[in-house]
Amino acid sequence: MFPRLGSLLRVLTSRRNFEAAMNEELRFHIDRYGEDLRRSGVLPEEALRRARMEFGAFDSVREDCREARGLYLFDELARALRYSARLLRKSPGFTATALLTLALCLGANLAIFAVIDAILIRPLPFPDAGRLVTMYNTYPKAGVERDGSSVTNYYERRGRIPAFSSLSIYRFGTSILGEPGSSERRPVMLVSPDFFTTLGAGPALGSIFTDAETTYRTDDVAIVSDAFWREHFGADPHVIGRTVLADGRLRTVVGVLPPGFRFLSSTARLYLPLPSSAENRSPAERHSGGNVIQMIARLKPGATLAQAQSQIDAQNAALEQDDPQANMMADAGFRTLLVPLHADQVAAIRPTLLLLQAGVLALLAIGAVNLVNLLLIRASARSKELAVRQALGARRRHVVTEAVVETTLLTLTGGLLALAVGAAGIRLVAALGANRLPLGTGIHFDARLALVAFAAAVVLGVVLAAPFAWFGIRLQPSGALQSEPRGGTAGRTAQTVRHSFVVAQIALALVLLTGTGLLGLSLERAMAVSPGFQSGHVITGQISLVGNRYPSREAGLAFVEKLVGELGHRPGVLSVGLANNIPFSGANGKSAVAVAGHVLRPGESPRGHYSYGVGGDYFRAMGFSLLAGRFLTAADSRREIRVCVVDQDFARYYWPGGSALGRRLFQGAETGPDAQAFTVVGVVGSIKQSGLTDDAAQGAVYYPYIYRPESDLFVAVRSGVQPGSLQTALRTAVRSIDPGLVVADIQTMDDRIAESLLDRRSPAALAAAFSGIALLLIAIGTYGVLSYAVAQRRREIGVRMALGARPEQIGGQFLWLASRLLAAGSILGMIGAWITGQAMRAILFHVPAHSPAILAGSAAVIAAISFLACLLPARRAARISPVQALAEQ
Amino acid sequence: MDKTADLLPGTLDMLILKAVSLKPLHGYGVLLRIRQISGDALDIPQGSLYPALYRLEHQGLIAADWGQSDNNRRAKYYSLTAAGRRRLREETAGWNRLVSAIASALNTTSEEI
Repeated sequence: MFPRLGSLLRVLTSRRNFEAAMNEELRFHIDRYGEDLRRSGVLPEEALRRARMEFGAFDSVREDCREARGLYLFDELARALRYSARLLRKSPGFTATALLTLALCLGANLAIFAVIDAILIRPLPFPDAGRLVTMYNTYPKAGVERDGSSVTNYYERRGRIPAFSSLSIYRFGTSILGEPGSSERRPVMLVSPDFFTTLGAGPALGSIFTDAETTYRTDDVAIVSDAFWREHFGADPHVIGRTVLADGRLRTVVGVLPPGFRFLSSTARLYLPLPSSAENRSPAERHSGGNVIQMIARLKPGATLAQAQSQIDAQNAALEQDDPQANMMADAGFRTLLVPLHADQVAAIRPTLLLLQAGVLALLAIGAVNLVNLLLIRASARSKELAVRQALGARRRHVVTEAVVETTLLTLTGGLLALAVGAAGIRLVAALGANRLPLGTGIHFDARLALVAFAAAVVLGVVLAAPFAWFGIRLQPSGALQSEPRGGTAGRTAQTVRHSFVVAQIALALVLLTGTGLLGLSLERAMAVSPGFQSGHVITGQISLVGNRYPSREAGLAFVEKLVGELGHRPGVLSVGLANNIPFSGANGKSAVAVAGHVLRPGESPRGHYSYGVGGDYFRAMGFSLLAGRFLTAADSRREIRVCVVDQDFARYYWPGGSALGRRLFQGAETGPDAQAFTVVGVVGSIKQSGLTDDAAQGAVYYPYIYRPESDLFVAVRSGVQPGSLQTALRTAVRSIDPGLVVADIQTMDDRIAESLLDRRSPAALAAAFSGIALLLIAIGTYGVLSYAVAQRRREIGVRMALGARPEQIGGQFLWLASRLLAAGSILGMIGAWITGQAMRAILFHVPAHSPAILAGSAAVIAAISFLACLLPARRAARISPVQALAEQ
Repeated sequence: MDKTADLLPGTLDMLILKAVSLKPLHGYGVLLRIRQISGDALDIPQGSLYPALYRLEHQGLIAADWGQSDNNRRAKYYSLTAAGRRRLREETAGWNRLVSAIASALNTTSEEI
């Protein structure tokens, strides 16, 4: 084997030498033989002639020699390549169509695959990332599906779950880095000491946090990212011990992370300890997660998720025995759910992404079918040429090789173009919000993707050649040479195959269009949902009361009042309010509320409700509707008497039929002394809290800010002018009160709502683009096949017209053919659409999975396109002049 | 021409190996040598010689080197490699076995059955 490989390689690397040497050797032979003949008395000219003759055909000897050296395949490939390139150049229309189809279809697939690859396929960038899990507390019967974990959970579980080798908690936060007033708010991560151990990616320099650094007094340390280290410390190798100013506090750098460290989608460059007090860690706080703190853990080698889950369950059961709230938690359906970290991150977006990939694969299938049809048509047109070549001795192997080489040449060139389309597509999907998806920051064009494109192009080349090669082999030279003159019609099988491909194309396009229609209608329905408040003319921003100026709730209230006063005087401002959270901010936690006099029905659990502390004129600023009583006012935070406002869902749930006004409720899961009761003074309209498609009527309670003070605040300003113009006013007002504070995430309420629909709008937009391409493709496909049918049957048409057929009849015949194909495609497509509808259920909003209207609409669009596409060939058929048609050939 | 016999399939390779085993030869020389050592009984179609030479070289059984021919022209000389020598031995033994088997079969008389 090796000497052969070696000899083949030598020959291939010096092909010209090989040929020259071969020629020299063969000539030497002929010359010597001629000499010997002369010597034996033959005349010189006769001698050379005889020498040549007896040697045999010079070229065929050379060919046999080449073959003996294993050069045959390479020669044939080169010949086929030249032949294919010539053919493709000769029909630029076909080549351009094919390349464009390939570029669009493969490119679209690449772009979507890049997203799928980054988000679903590639493991998280940590060693043995499959062992990373996350867990969260859930209280489904209380309407709280996901509540994160509490600090107490962490201290109770740490080291006590045998299936975990390491367990940690983290929360996302923001910090003002650098000198007060001089910089912006940056994302940071607050992590427990074992966070990096759990991930298996520790600092490259320095060390991780210690347990001693987890209290509010001792947490003045930081671990910085590689980028932060380079930017702020000039990559100083002795950075450990230097300090960084965060939120006005000096923190000592204890570690530098390795380059490329990234936890999920976080862009944090600064990692701080997650501090807690003894009170935070007490059993009373066990259920106070609030979906702020998240827990991750690493499974020990050999341990399974199920083992870990049962250990957590067992521990929860043991702990809850001493818990005074145990019954209530059991009623709420409390459990801690364990999920693989990667799967949990992408769970929400997974169905949409898979659906998009399916859609774009359908597009590729349509494109491929289209190409096969065009190739078949070309092959039929060339069937005579092929038959002649076969009759003249072209081997069948040649014909097949040529087919594969031609289609592969096409798909590889198309694949190259597709790389460009794919790269642009990746930028497009990023612009459509893909990079804001979980793990979406990893979406990019790389060698891996290019490799996938190459493989896809080669596979596609072979697949496309298959039917063509099959026909090439089956083609009987005698039959092909005769078929046209005798019958005037094309081979039946070839025609059936072409027609069934058109049917397949129409079916796939119908599925794609129906899917797009369902997505589009869902989006429209979602957009039509009223958020429940007047979102126009409202600008919002986020403020965190950091630093040591806000030790008490009174200090916080003072800031709120000052800001309301400051902004209220600005021109154009109608009303100003603050709340510790606003709808559509992306983080809306629920808290327990106990209603005085409400007796739990059997099986009913205490419920979690959206709970807000509001200051200023929040309700007017946000445009809430008042249904009964009054709004909270700024003064309510300054009054001894505790009041609150509830929304309509809340009122309906607890006091169906009765008035909510004057009723009393308590913060927390249990009622308390009268002095802590809040009296309902108003009922406002229910609003969408986390998204327009949020259907749960969970109920919300609004307290005066002083009774629910949190350092994270949102400010909302309603204005009579363009809300965007208030950005600067907002910034300067906050700075004039406290130069150490920064307003982050400034957006109009309308923008927030629009952004919340991103996960519906972008897939719908992409699907619409795919459908558009699909329609174009079926137009090309139908047109191509019918044009060919007309050209093939010119003679037949001519004969029929000569016998008295009217042009309308001829044209009608082709329209009839088109409608039969369309009908068959539509029936198949409807079956496909039904299956697709089932698969899409999870991501549809207020749209039935099987919408006859969408189906009919899609079918109508496809019908219109197909008819338009076949109108031209049909007209051409009707205009065929019998004299001309019969005179040809 | 009556004396020449057609080559049995597969024997050309063997003859070439034998021819070059005696002395390195160019292609034409191989042709002459086979004619000579077979007592002019075997005549090889000239065109089929070179593909066979190229195949044997490709298989590493013979090696080629450029040298001067007797009339001072450059010519490609073939010689046997170690692998070629082994192959020649095997083929000769195999051929002898075959020939003696067939001969004994053909010489069988009715008494010997």
